[in-house]
Amino acid sequence: MNPQRRLWRWRLINAMLFGVLGLVVIVCATIGPAQISPLDVMVMLVRKLPLVGSVVPPGDWPETHETIVFQMRLARLVLAVLVGAGLASSGVVLQGLLQNPMADPYILGISSGAALGAIAAMLFGLGMHALGIYALPLTAFVGAVATAFVVYNLARVGGRTPVPTLILAGIAVGSFLSAVTSYFMITSGQNIHQVVFWLMGGLAGRGWDHVLVLLPYIVTGLAVMLLNARKLNAMLLGDEPAQHLGVDVERLKQVLLGAATLTAAASVAVSGVIGFVGLIIPHAVRLVVGPDHRVLLPAATLSGAIFLTAADTLARVAAAPAEIPVGVITALCGGPFFIYLLRKKKEPGF
Amino acid sequence: MPLYLDVLGVECAYGAVKVIDGMTFSIGQGCFAGIIGPNGSGKSTLLRCISRTLKPVRGTVLLQGESLYKMSPREVARKMAVVPQETAVNFPFTVEEIIMMGRSPHLGRFQAEGKRDYEITSRSMDLTNTRHLAGRQITAISGGERQRVIIAKALAQEPELILLDEPTSHLDINQQVEILSLLQRLNREGGLTVLAVFHDLNLAAQFCDLMILMHGGKAYRVGKPDEVLTAENIEEVYGTRVLVKKHPVTGRPAVFLLTRGGLEASGKGRVHVICGGGAGVAVLGLLVERGFTVTTGVLNIGDIDWETAKHLGLEMTEEAPFSDISDRSYRENLEMIQRADACVLVSIPFGRGNLKNLEAVSLARAWGKPVLLVEEQAIEERDFTGGEAVRRYNQLKEQGAVVLQDGAAVPDVLAGLLQARI
Repeated sequence: MNPQRRLWRWRLINAMLFGVLGLVVIVCATIGPAQISPLDVMVMLVRKLPLVGSVVPPGDWPETHETIVFQMRLARLVLAVLVGAGLASSGVVLQGLLQNPMADPYILGISSGAALGAIAAMLFGLGMHALGIYALPLTAFVGAVATAFVVYNLARVGGRTPVPTLILAGIAVGSFLSAVTSYFMITSGQNIHQVVFWLMGGLAGRGWDHVLVLLPYIVTGLAVMLLNARKLNAMLLGDEPAQHLGVDVERLKQVLLGAATLTAAASVAVSGVIGFVGLIIPHAVRLVVGPDHRVLLPAATLSGAIFLTAADTLARVAAAPAEIPVGVITALCGGPFFIYLLRKKKEPGF
Repeated sequence: MPLYLDVLGVECAYGAVKVIDGMTFSIGQGCFAGIIGPNGSGKSTLLRCISRTLKPVRGTVLLQGESLYKMSPREVARKMAVVPQETAVNFPFTVEEIIMMGRSPHLGRFQAEGKRDYEITSRSMDLTNTRHLAGRQITAISGGERQRVIIAKALAQEPELILLDEPTSHLDINQQVEILSLLQRLNREGGLTVLAVFHDLNLAAQFCDLMILMHGGKAYRVGKPDEVLTAENIEEVYGTRVLVKKHPVTGRPAVFLLTRGGLEASGKGRVHVICGGGAGVAVLGLLVERGFTVTTGVLNIGDIDWETAKHLGLEMTEEAPFSDISDRSYRENLEMIQRADACVLVSIPFGRGNLKNLEAVSLARAWGKPVLLVEEQAIEERDFTGGEAVRRYNQLKEQGAVVLQDGAAVPDVLAGLLQARI
C-alpha cells in the first residue's frame, strides 16, 4: 500500500475510534437510576468548554442532574477511559517489546506487587493515617513499580535483558508475591472481602481525585510509547534484527518497560487488578488494523478506553444497586474471546 | 591505512568460553568476502561481533576507520545491513511492511515513509523477486520466500556493507544460486561490500573474492579462494580428505569429498584395473571404498583416471602424456597383473596406442586369474583399430572372462569370485 494512503487510513481509523469513544462516554453518562437524556449531557458538557460554553444557554434540568453527571458519573467514566487506555497501551507495548503474544501489563509481576502493596494498606493500615484514601493507591503503585524493577534487574545478564529471562523472572517473582499475598489474606483474621473485591478490580467509589492522580502517568506513558512506535515495530523482528535496523535495543527496552510499567502500575493502583483488557484488546485490534504500532498503539489505546468504559457501566448497572467488579465483566467477555482467537489461529504465536 | 572494514585483534567470549581468539583481517570496499570453517569455529560469533551485537572483550572493529562500537546503532544501520540465518516473525506484517522497515534507519523519529522510501522498497522487491508477495503476510510464506524478503529488507537499508550468516543454508540449490548471484551483481555493479558466512565450500569458492578460513576461533588462512581452499588446509581444519580441483567452467577451486570412510585396504584381495581417459573413475573409487588393494595401469600422465588414481594414492604404471604404451611400461604393468588376484578391464576405447593393454588382459586370463570385462558400451563401438581390438576382446570372452554391463557391480562380483577361489 502506498504510504500516503496508508497514513490516511490510519488517521481515519483513529478518528473513528475517537468518535466512538466520545459517543460511548456520553451514552454511558445517561445510564443510571436518574434519567438524564443524552442531549442534556451533551449540552452540559459543551457549557463546560471555554469560549463556546458561555454562549450556550443552560437547559431546564434540575441542579442535581448536573451534580450527578459531573461529580459522579463523568469522574468515573473518565477514570475508566484512562485505566482502559493505560492497560491496553501497556499491553500492546509489552507484547511487542517481549515479542510474546501472551504478554499483558501484568507480565512483569505488576499485579502481584500492587496486590501486596494494597494489602499492606488494607490489612495493616500502612499509610492510612497520613494519606487517607490515597494510601491504597500509593502503596499499590509502589508495590507494582518495585516489583517490575526487581524483575528487570533479575533478568539483566551482562548488560542485556533477554526476553525469555525477563518473562520467567516476572512469573517467578509474581508467583512468590502472590503466595505472600495469599498467606497474609488467610492469616490476617480480618474481613478479606474488601481485598478480594480489590483484586478483581473495579472503579466504584472513585472520583476526580483519582483521575488527577492517574492522568499524568497515562499522558506521559502514552507519549513515550507513541514516540517509540516505529522502533517497536523493529523489535517485533527480534532483538538482534532490531539492532541491525539501528535501534538501541537495551535503551528502548528500558524506556518502554519504564513507560509501560508506570502506566500499568498507576492504572492498577487506582482500579485494582482488572484483567484481560491489556491482553485481548491488543490482540483484537491487531487483527483489524495490523501489527504496525504507529496505528495499533493509538487504536488499541482508544479501544481499551471504549471497552473499559462500556464494561464499567455494565458493572455499575447490571446488578444495581449492587456493583459487580469490572474485572469480572472484562474476564467474562475476554475469556471466550480469547478462546475464539486461539481456535481461529491454530498456529503458535499470533 | 585502514580498509573499509578492519577486524583488529578481536577476542569474543560467551561468559568464560572464548569463542574468537584473536582475529585480524581487513576487507576492502567492494569486496565479496566469505567466512568458512567447521561448526563451532566461531563463524557466526565473528559475524555477531562485526554486526555490533556482541562486543568483543579485546580488540576492535573499524568501519571506514571508525570504531564500530563508538558509533550509534543508527549510524551503523545506515551503512551495514545484516541478514541472519533465519528470521522468525510472529506478527502478521505484510511482506511490503517488513521490507519498508529497512528504511527506518534513514527516517527521523516523527518522519513517516515518503515517496522515495516507497520507491526504494519497490526496487528491493524487484531485485529479490518478491513483488508478487508484497501483500502476503510474512507468517504465511515459505522459508525460502521469507529469506528473500529479509534480504530485500536489508537492501532497502541501502547499505554499503551487507553481512550474511549462512543466508542460503535453508534454501534449494536454485534459490541459493539466485540469491548469491543477486549479491554478486549488486557487488559488481553497485559496489556493495559483501561479507557472508558460508557452510558450503563450493558455493563460497564460486562467489568470493576473498576467503577467511576459521579454525578454533582464529583466522587459519585469509586470501583468494585458490590460496585458502587447498586440500591441505581443508584436511587440517575439517579433518576430512578432499580433492580440490579447478572448476571446469569457472576456474575457481572446487572441493570434492574423498569417501574413504576408514576403508584402508582391508585384505579383500588385490585387483588390477585397466582403464584410462576417465572410464575407470567410478570403478577405482568403488573398489578402494570396498577395501580392495587396487593397482592400475597403463595410464597416461595427466588423464582423468591417472589423477583419480593419484588422489586415491594407488600404485600404478604410468606413461608419458598422449604416448603409446612403451615396452617398459607394458612390462611394469604385467608385473602388477602378476601380483594381482584378479584383473578388471573397464569400458575403454581401443586404438593402436593402448592395444597392449588388451594383450595384458589376455595374459592375465592365461595365467588363470579371474578377469572382469565391464561392457557399458559394445566393443564394436569403441574399436578404433580396424577390428583388431574386437577380435582380441572376443577371444577374451571365449577364454572365460566375466562380462558385466554395469561397473557398479564390479566389487560384488569380484568379492564373490575371489571368495570362491579361497
